Amino acid sequence: MDFGYTEEEERFRERLNKFLDKELTEEIARQNWEDKGVGPEAREFSRKLAAKGFLGMTWPKEYGGKGLPPTYDFILLDELGKRWGAHVPLDIGYTMVGHTILRRGSEEMKQEFLPKIISGDIEFCLGYTEPDAGSDLASMQMSAVEEGDYYVINGQKTFNTECHYAEYHWLAARTDTNPDIPNYRGISLFIVDIDSPGITVEPLWTMSGERTNEVFYDNVRVPKKRMVGEKNKGFYYMMEALGSERNQVFVPARLYPILNDLINYAKETQYKGRPLAEDPIVRDKLAQAAIGLDVARVLAERSRWMESNELPMTYEPEVTKVVVSELEQRLVDTGMEILGLFGQLEEDSKWAPLRGRIEWYYLHSFMTTIGAGTSEIGRNIIAQRGLGLPRA
Amino acid sequence: MDFTFSKEQKLLRQSIRDFLTRECESTLVREMEEDERGYTPELWRGMADLGWMGLIFPERYGGTEGDFLDLAVMMEEMGRACLPGPFFSTVVLGGLTILEAGNESQLSEFLPKIAGGDMIFTLALNEPAATRYNPPLITAQATAEQDNYIIDGIKLFVPDANVADYMICVARTGGEPDSREGITLFLVDAKSPGVKSTLLKTVARDKQCEVILDRVKVPGRNILGELNKGWTYIEKILQKAAVAKCAEMIGAAQKVLELTTAYAKKREQFGQIIGSFQAVQHHCANMLIDVDGGKWITYKVAWMLSEGIPCNREVAVAKAWVSEAYKRVVSLGHEIVGGVGYMVDHDMPLYSRRAKAAEFAFGDANFHRGVVAQELGL
Repeated sequence: MDFGYTEEEERFRERLNKFLDKELTEEIARQNWEDKGVGPEAREFSRKLAAKGFLGMTWPKEYGGKGLPPTYDFILLDELGKRWGAHVPLDIGYTMVGHTILRRGSEEMKQEFLPKIISGDIEFCLGYTEPDAGSDLASMQMSAVEEGDYYVINGQKTFNTECHYAEYHWLAARTDTNPDIPNYRGISLFIVDIDSPGITVEPLWTMSGERTNEVFYDNVRVPKKRMVGEKNKGFYYMMEALGSERNQVFVPARLYPILNDLINYAKETQYKGRPLAEDPIVRDKLAQAAIGLDVARVLAERSRWMESNELPMTYEPEVTKVVVSELEQRLVDTGMEILGLFGQLEEDSKWAPLRGRIEWYYLHSFMTTIGAGTSEIGRNIIAQRGLGLPRA
Repeated sequence: MDFTFSKEQKLLRQSIRDFLTRECESTLVREMEEDERGYTPELWRGMADLGWMGLIFPERYGGTEGDFLDLAVMMEEMGRACLPGPFFSTVVLGGLTILEAGNESQLSEFLPKIAGGDMIFTLALNEPAATRYNPPLITAQATAEQDNYIIDGIKLFVPDANVADYMICVARTGGEPDSREGITLFLVDAKSPGVKSTLLKTVARDKQCEVILDRVKVPGRNILGELNKGWTYIEKILQKAAVAKCAEMIGAAQKVLELTTAYAKKREQFGQIIGSFQAVQHHCANMLIDVDGGKWITYKVAWMLSEGIPCNREVAVAKAWVSEAYKRVVSLGHEIVGGVGYMVDHDMPLYSRRAKAAEFAFGDANFHRGVVAQELGL
């Protein structure tokens, strides 16, 4: 066993940190984290990240990468995350969609999209959820019908975050409506230009101020060559991508800044002339949070290691997802308890402690166990794939 | 990074599992709970012949030079089998302490005997005044008298003192009762006049004892390590013991998960396998998450100990987390296995009762969260 990083990996981390210290600001970090819309600063940062060689380390050389193992991308995600919970600015393309294009896309599709993903120039938005297809995603109804060299697509998606600034919609739609086959066998994936005629993007605002969207398709014509891989295999592609997506999206390092803020607060804040850090309850709660984080980190590293070594992941990334998302909820709840009355103050309010960040995280944390699959579906997956328990 | 055990470690695990599956069935475990000694000499001899007691000792003392991760593998398998007997006391608490603190003559006198399975050791640490776990709270007094020391005091929760040949007694030779200064370790022959060990009746029916030391005379040469500096050794040993205990717990937790899952796949109610119910699946998923988290945090810190990487925080994180995770695993296991698992002759109670003993051993979650808080700079 070896839980350490190699010297080469550490050198990469060092070089990256120097760059991030100089280039990454809180504003850029939050533009992505809070889905406020990636602005010009974040786009510029994304391109610089790529220009300095920090993007694409793990991608094949023929598409502009360096052909190294996924560990380097995980180091990138960790070091970004330690700074205000930052992520790769154009993360849907880089951490999710790009990998499926690489695995399943045609050569033409790879040539068209991968170099631009690796250079930090383009972004995608996921088009999966529908008003009547949430946890039961395979029941989606959006229809794609062949017509000459095109598919004509109609229907509605919801909670499609990033659609207001991404260039491309990564769309799942029904291409086989035969009621005699299981619904997951009739879904295909498409890359759709988000400004195609017939697409309407309407904002939906979340309780923590993030923007997500409803997306309406009215006879949108999508060239056949924009179908990803084979027809009716879309749901399989979505599922095979899930493990790697969990590994890249649920990054424990992104929660350490919250813990560190709370530790500093406890040390610097006085109560009855003594620092809060001396209060046994405060100490116990922060220790509990740190323990949860350390365990989440090693669990995440385990499933990342499996991915890096191309081992079949079954339930492991789902453990990462469930553990990290629930931990975030407990951590910010702990934060709110420590801040007490002051915890309810918003960022721009007078007297707001820790610049109101904990209050925002608290609101945000309701989403973590719902988004990208609920904890309940996650536990079904863990029980069925991890322990072989039968489906109901 | 490498999240796999070496080929040798896999072989080691398999050979331990094979042996214990054969020689340590749960009927034996239950018998030994009622037995005065708590183990059979045949089993002990069999383990010694396989070289288990020498696993982590240098070759020149009869060992095979394994590292701490090897020991973790062994402890995991022992936990899985609920192995009765004084292995932990002898090898971890006795042998490792001697290895850490002993001089050449002590090393060459005792380690070969431990490695050969010819001597049973234990560590006499806790005292009645430590109503909360607090290792430096030592009041047992060792007073110099010519070339000897006279030890007086009461030690509690001393594992396997009833069968030990020697105990390492932690006594005060100076300083205040709660101070880390002035603590000294003594190698005490358990048959010395004035040593009286009495079995305590414990939840796990493990052999924890009260040891009364009444004017016990110990030769000065039996001081282990430096006079008054005993804490420096004890601190390290308690860390290793905590991690070894974590390994034991996760081995047991894995077994509870397997036992529970097998039951959930077989048991039918309402005309269906209960393992197909979401309520049951979610319990099982929670058990798997806890077992996995426990394993990897334990392997990580065992690796750090093997590599000599400082790991105060990680040890405390592991013991805090595994103590509670194992407790959750047994309680969910009981919930799923239901009434039959509550019966005295089922295997479940072997694990749930031991989970409680293991939780308290070498500091419970509350204690270790206190350590983590300090490590966080609070």
